[in-house]
Amino acid sequence: MRGAEFEARTLWRACGVLLTVLALGTGLAQDEIEREGYFEVRSASTEIVDGVHTLDSRLQLVLSSDALRALESGVTLTIELQLQVIRQRSLLPDDVEAELAVRYELEYLPVSQRYIVRNLNIGDQDSFATLYSALNSLGRIQGLPVIDAAVLAPDATYRIRARVRLNMQQYPAALRILFFWRGQWQLESEWFEWLLEH
Amino acid sequence: MVARTLKRAFYLIVATSGVGLVIAALFLLTQTVQKSDDFGRLQDLILAINIAGGVLLLAMLIGNLTRLARDYRQNVPGAKLKARMVGMFVGLAVLPLLVVFYFSLQFINRGIDSWFDVEVEEGLDNALELSRAALEIQKRRNLRSTEAVAQRLAMVTDRQVVFELSMLRRESGASEMTLYGQNNTVLATSSNSATASLPKPLTEEVVLQMQQARPFVSLESLGEGGVEVRTAVVFTHRAGRVQEARVVQGYYPVDDRLAAMVGSVERSFQEYQQLVFFREDLKDLLTVTLLFVLLLSLLAAIYGAFVLSRRLVAPIQDLVAGTRAVAMGDFDTRVPATTRDEIGFLVSSFNDMTQRLAAARREASLSAALVEAERTNLEVILARLSTGVLALEADLTIRNANQAAGSILGVDLEHRSGEKLVDVAKENALLDQFVDVARVHLDAGETEWREQIVLRGEVGRRVLTCACTALPGDEDHAAGYVVVFDDITALLQAQRDAAWGEVARRLAHEIKNPLTPIQLSAERMRHRYLHTLPEEEAQVLDRATHTIVQQVEAMKEMVNAFSDYARAPDIEIARFDLDKLAHEVVDLYRAQEREVKIVLTSDPTMQMVEADMGRVRQILHNLLRNAVEALENTDDGRIDVHVSAAEIDDVDIVQIKVEDNGPGFKPGSVSQIFDPYVTTKPKGTGLGLAIVKKLVEEHVGTIRARNRTEGGAMISIRLPLNEAARELIIAKAPGRAEKRREQA
Repeated sequence: MRGAEFEARTLWRACGVLLTVLALGTGLAQDEIEREGYFEVRSASTEIVDGVHTLDSRLQLVLSSDALRALESGVTLTIELQLQVIRQRSLLPDDVEAELAVRYELEYLPVSQRYIVRNLNIGDQDSFATLYSALNSLGRIQGLPVIDAAVLAPDATYRIRARVRLNMQQYPAALRILFFWRGQWQLESEWFEWLLEH
Repeated sequence: MVARTLKRAFYLIVATSGVGLVIAALFLLTQTVQKSDDFGRLQDLILAINIAGGVLLLAMLIGNLTRLARDYRQNVPGAKLKARMVGMFVGLAVLPLLVVFYFSLQFINRGIDSWFDVEVEEGLDNALELSRAALEIQKRRNLRSTEAVAQRLAMVTDRQVVFELSMLRRESGASEMTLYGQNNTVLATSSNSATASLPKPLTEEVVLQMQQARPFVSLESLGEGGVEVRTAVVFTHRAGRVQEARVVQGYYPVDDRLAAMVGSVERSFQEYQQLVFFREDLKDLLTVTLLFVLLLSLLAAIYGAFVLSRRLVAPIQDLVAGTRAVAMGDFDTRVPATTRDEIGFLVSSFNDMTQRLAAARREASLSAALVEAERTNLEVILARLSTGVLALEADLTIRNANQAAGSILGVDLEHRSGEKLVDVAKENALLDQFVDVARVHLDAGETEWREQIVLRGEVGRRVLTCACTALPGDEDHAAGYVVVFDDITALLQAQRDAAWGEVARRLAHEIKNPLTPIQLSAERMRHRYLHTLPEEEAQVLDRATHTIVQQVEAMKEMVNAFSDYARAPDIEIARFDLDKLAHEVVDLYRAQEREVKIVLTSDPTMQMVEADMGRVRQILHNLLRNAVEALENTDDGRIDVHVSAAEIDDVDIVQIKVEDNGPGFKPGSVSQIFDPYVTTKPKGTGLGLAIVKKLVEEHVGTIRARNRTEGGAMISIRLPLNEAARELIIAKAPGRAEKRREQA
């Protein structure tokens, strides 16, 4: 009896997968699933410290239930802060002068029952007793060097923009397709943009 | 041909590529199943190959399906058979594929589920708990050590604190120990590493815990499996002038063996949890992959069905096209034989059949051409025949008739094919009489008969010799009749003319010779005895001899007339003015016959006529004398003479017409008035019109006589205007030349 139920469930699942694969790219599946998590750049500003533009920013990082479940299951999440310095041009399209990506790993260790936030760029890591404090720490960017002020043309106008997203490059392509189809893995903030004062 | 070969090569390459891609995808899938590490690495490639192969096959299938649907709608030969075969092949391929898919799906799901065991999960949980417990003991011990250090430091002055801290660290077994004062400032630190960096400020978490006067202890990961215990304790420093809260934080190393075991347990637990977490995703992934393989196999099977059905149907399509071509009459169609199986045998038989049909058609065409040529010849012969030929259906519908038939019967039968002979006969009195005679025989069941028929018309009687025979039909009914008839009126007339000529010649010869001695004897007798006999007897002799001489003269005159009729001097053709001649003759008769009004209508501009002038003068004389004699007992007698030229049937002729208002010809005698000794007048020898007819025929002319509707008679003569017209008439009616020669 249980075997029959299993077979029926398997068949239904196969049909569901087939239909969903057919719906790929239409966005139909994404619209139907409720998003539980979101990433947002709350504030961001730069200041020149020792001739280097440094970033202070506050990020709001709320994980979706899928991402949270994956984290608690031992899956390491990679959160990426992307920065772009854009030179504004009057006649030509704007030019991306510099790009910077800061990657953080968020991991849960079951033995110590602590959350680890690891800065992949500099190799530094901190541990936290709660996910809240880990995300809070991760979302507080302070004094991050962005670009040397000397590199920028003095008479040019620059914009800088930042966004934070859940990076899934470390997963196999097929899993990425499945994650894409499951909208809860699509955690990406809008670009936060401001003028670079120099 | 070249384009077709290129097209085939293209399809072959595309199909081979598609199948190759599918095989490559299956091979890679097999590889990844055997080595799960390669799965992630090859996943992109497998997906790309599957999608490319699928798209390729799908495009080809859509092309094939579109073509098949178009052929099906347009009823292209073989399309329905092809559709059935494709459906059958697809059905045969789909069922086993679905079965394989179903069992593969079950295998995958059960296989993945078998990876997860409740006992393994419990074991891992227990190991994790054990690790935690083992570390918890060390954490407590280390916390107690840190608390002891804090108690000692509470009484240590700031000057001694660096030394004391270092000593206490060594005593407690900590790897690093740091003393923090107000505002999280580092007062002293000690480490067992010479290369240790400066201590970090207390983390928020620790600060928060210290503010609540609660000790802090936690396990810190060192990366690569290493762990250490971090402890922090707040205490009140009493050794100084002012009491203040200070924090001591220490890091304690965990035994390497324990750390390795804990790290191993943690990694195993994490990997297991990850597997559990990705289990459903993995199932979905494999299901999707399997679905891709299924779809590719299905597409390949359907495409294979198309290829197979096309190969099987192609010779049948060729045969159907060939059959249609043969039905349309193209017997030169040959179907290419591509195989040596039963279909090849069928194709070979079809080719043999069309070859034989083509040969048979060629022979039939030759036969038809021969028949047509024979028919054309027969038509020419029939058209040239002076004998009338009339072919009839069994119901007397005209099947065919030649020109002579129409000429003899006085109605155009040549162009009345398909009409009932009886209906056509209503338009013509001669044909009506002809049909009456024919029907008498046919109604009596006589299909073979021969009869001489006399038809009576306005221009006289016409004698036909008629023969009928049945066309071959079935046993009981004839398919039709052929009636052959000849107008022998002229022939009979010629025979009569010849007989009369012989009579006249014999009369001239046998009677004329004794007449002179009779006349001489009578005159001698009169001369010798008239004066010697008494008065009364002398008168008797005188009257008798006078009568004898007078009658002999009359007989001479009659014999001379016969002689003129029998003897025909050579005709002398010369050009003369017929208008002038007509005036001369008419003027002569006007002078002699005062009681009769003679009116001449002639064309003074008429061309000169080429004929024997003496004979034409005699014709005019005879006709006028005949008319004058006919008007002897008629008051207000009138003779109209018309002389004119005309063109009839492309022949230039002159026409002389003499009409009178006398009593006319006796009914039924019109056809015999040109015979010698046939006359309706009280006077005359009866040779006048016979001589006229003879003279006209010597000129290859025609003469007609009939009664006028307003009373009186009319005789019409047509003579050729010149020699050319005469030759033309002779060419059209050779019989007249014969008659002319006979009479000449």
